[in-house]
Amino acid sequence: MKSSASPSSLPAISVTQTDDRVQTTTDSVAESDTDPCEEQTANIWNWGALGVFGSTFSTIFLAEMGDKTQLATLLMSAESQSPWTVFAGASAALIATSLIGILVGRWLAKFLTPKTLNVSAGILLLCISVALFWEILNS
Amino acid sequence: MNWELIGLSFITVFLAEMGDKSQLAAIALGGCSKSPRAVFFGSVTALILASFLGVLIGGQMAAFLPAQALKAIAAIGFAILGVRLLWGQFGSSNN
Repeated sequence: MKSSASPSSLPAISVTQTDDRVQTTTDSVAESDTDPCEEQTANIWNWGALGVFGSTFSTIFLAEMGDKTQLATLLMSAESQSPWTVFAGASAALIATSLIGILVGRWLAKFLTPKTLNVSAGILLLCISVALFWEILNS
Repeated sequence: MNWELIGLSFITVFLAEMGDKSQLAAIALGGCSKSPRAVFFGSVTALILASFLGVLIGGQMAAFLPAQALKAIAAIGFAILGVRLLWGQFGSSNN
């Protein structure tokens, strides 16, 4: 039953897959065209900013799940019996470190050309990726 | 409000996160993005949600969470962001 049905369904699946692939490649090309920071758009809250928000959120969130900061937070909240106080302190610290990170990035951007900045940012992100894989292999 | 405990957790998390990969990612993404505000809010939301889940789930975290798999997805995500940035520089200059 299954084997007789699969030949007829296969072409249809492959056609939709290629359609999807074409769609996604054109999407990513359009995104990468708007990505470099050469031109400042007047409207910050467009889909580009939402995409930046989404990719930043998802990567950092997944990287931090089960990471040492999260473990320290849950350890402290378990020991102290007042988890929300610990949560408040940890949140303030995370806001501060994020803000410092962004400000350092913007500060560096003043001294570097957009090209140098993008290339070093790309290399830094690849290094983070390698470091994460390294953590997985060594744990 | 227990200010000592708030201060302790602030200092612990602050020192743990300074120079850590999330902050390096914030530096990289914030420096080259045209919307650093979106990077800031994305980073803050992710970090606070992660620590919120840490507090909420507590000791059962290890049982719940395929942390290795999530880290692998994050690593691939960072790699894609990095390659996209580099591609935007070297890929577009060839055209």
